[in-house]
Amino acid sequence: MNKILVVDDETHVRKLYEEILSRDGYKVITVATAGEAMDMLSRDNFSLIVLDIELEESSGLEILKELKRIYPEIPVILNSAYSVYKSDFHSWVADAYVVKSSDMEPLKNKIKELSRA
Amino acid sequence: MEAQLISAPENSMIALIQSNFDILPVGFFIADEKGIIRYLDSEAARLIGYDGIDDAVGNTLFDIDINLGCGLSDELATILSGRVFRLDEHRCTNRRGHFAVINVQCGPFRQNDGAVAGIFGLLQDVTDSWKKKSELEEAIFELSVMSQVSEALSSTADLDDVLKIILTGVTASQGLGFNRAYLFLVDVDGRNLEGKIAVGPSSPEEAGHIWSRLAGQHRTLREILQDYKESEDNSSFSLSRLVEDWSIPLDSSNIFSDVIRVGQGTLIFRDDLTGDESTGVLTRLNTDCLALAPIISKGKKLGLIAADNQITGKEIAPSMVDHLQTFANQTAVAIERSRLYDSQLERARELELINQQLADSRDQMIRVEKMSVIGELTSSIAHELRNPLTVIGGFGNLILSTGQLEGSAEYLNIILSEVKRAESVLHQVLDFSRASRTKTRRVEFNSLVKAAHEILLVKLNRAQESPVLHLAEGELPIWGNPDQLRHALLQFMLMTVEELTGECSIDISTSINGKNVRMVIAFSGEDKARARVVKTLRQVFGNPSGTQKLSILVAGETLKYHVGNYGVEGSQENMPCLYIELPEYRGHTDE
Repeated sequence: MNKILVVDDETHVRKLYEEILSRDGYKVITVATAGEAMDMLSRDNFSLIVLDIELEESSGLEILKELKRIYPEIPVILNSAYSVYKSDFHSWVADAYVVKSSDMEPLKNKIKELSRA
Repeated sequence: MEAQLISAPENSMIALIQSNFDILPVGFFIADEKGIIRYLDSEAARLIGYDGIDDAVGNTLFDIDINLGCGLSDELATILSGRVFRLDEHRCTNRRGHFAVINVQCGPFRQNDGAVAGIFGLLQDVTDSWKKKSELEEAIFELSVMSQVSEALSSTADLDDVLKIILTGVTASQGLGFNRAYLFLVDVDGRNLEGKIAVGPSSPEEAGHIWSRLAGQHRTLREILQDYKESEDNSSFSLSRLVEDWSIPLDSSNIFSDVIRVGQGTLIFRDDLTGDESTGVLTRLNTDCLALAPIISKGKKLGLIAADNQITGKEIAPSMVDHLQTFANQTAVAIERSRLYDSQLERARELELINQQLADSRDQMIRVEKMSVIGELTSSIAHELRNPLTVIGGFGNLILSTGQLEGSAEYLNIILSEVKRAESVLHQVLDFSRASRTKTRRVEFNSLVKAAHEILLVKLNRAQESPVLHLAEGELPIWGNPDQLRHALLQFMLMTVEELTGECSIDISTSINGKNVRMVIAFSGEDKARARVVKTLRQVFGNPSGTQKLSILVAGETLKYHVGNYGVEGSQENMPCLYIELPEYRGHTDE
């Protein structure tokens, strides 16, 4: 079973993603901070990471580079309410960029696509 | 001084008179009671024009009258009766043809016993002082006229008024008194002399009518010059028309170009002229004698004043040419002053325009700054709203997908529909706030319209179909934020075109409209289409839906911030159309 790590500081967003993605057959682990994410990655294997950009303690873009350095094989989907980061040079390191929406299909499609690869 | 004794009894008295008058610069003569000259001195003989004293003695007073024209012989009886005859500053030409001005005084010549034996006369030559006095009077006259003309000229800086005042001064009887005057100016290239204005009657009949009326008014030159604007009738229309279209090449040889070249006033007589061009000038002006004075300022040749007395035939004295030249000099100063005033006025207008543009730019920059702050604020709010909407919509969809709603599916669908609408609003706000972060610069309006049109076609799912784009030729520069403007143009296109797709033909065009650039969304079709267009435009711009309201607000404010505007225009005959206008860029400092 594909295991997905969701990094988002919003409790309800984490809950939503856990519910939705679990129904699609994924095992979902959610964390709120960059530190928790790094800790979780060191203890478990994940097939994909969904990463928010505007976190409470740090920026998702800052840890993105670190993630890709340590775990280059794990695909990362940047998931933000801001579309403006799409044009940010630092976001290009990610495998995909999906803007948050009540319509979950774009995110689910992108996860499916990257999990297959 | 020599004397001729006539008879013994008079000898002692003559000697006495001679000794008393010898030191004075006067001539004297003595005649008997019959008017026969008995004695005169050499000064008197000179003034009358006799060769010598002997040539004079024995002649009568009538002979003096013939030579000096002073009427002495007629006054002989009166003088013998004891009265004194006096004639001051009498201008005459003596028997030798010499002009002189003399004072004449005659009284009774009495003997020792008091009996009147004849008359005694004094002749004083005052020619030099008379000439000086005349010159002084001429100078005073010229100064007086020029003072009044200068006063009138100081009241205006308009070149046409200046020229008319000058010519009125030249032709007024209280001024130089010429019958007619013409004014020519050198053109901007300095190649031709062009007729500008003429003042005076064109015929003796017209002259009689005008002059008799003016004579009855008893006005001073100052009053005439002050009323120059009302003296239209004095500036004959036909006379002005005679010179208005007249262009004389300065490199040709004729009296006008010669006077300009030499730079000195002169008097021209037809009989003295050779050459067809010069006689042609006099013929065109219908005159035989013309006074000319070049208008020159600091060596720069500006034009020429011409004047004549053709109507009255009065001789033009050389001194009048001098006066005319003084007028021409004054005209040169006035023309230079008027042109300087015009150039300063033009400069002031330019500065005013630049100031206005600066003020507009400053206002625009302030607005842009405000927009930037608003953009940042709306961006933050929009992002904060997106997360809860994602959660609400996400869980709503999740519940809907379970199918266990027990009759609440309708309500859940409403919730999801409103979430979608709220997300659409956020999308627009975020687009706007992103645009606000772009700096303002010079932008090509056609390129903005073209880009918005391309996005419109994508959104309408079309290739190269309606709406058809017609871009104006050449550049339509504007100043502004390209992202904001592109977004606003697209919103206007979407609001109107989306609703009317398939209902009628739609054309989008750009053009220049005065100082603005313009985009017009025009519609065409049958009556049914017209009704649909009217209804749609009324709905969109009169009673918009929630999403449309926001779009109009954002797009409208964007135009307003760029000093632009939009509206619907049309007529009974034409289908209404939507127009958007923005000020054409005329150049100012880049941000």
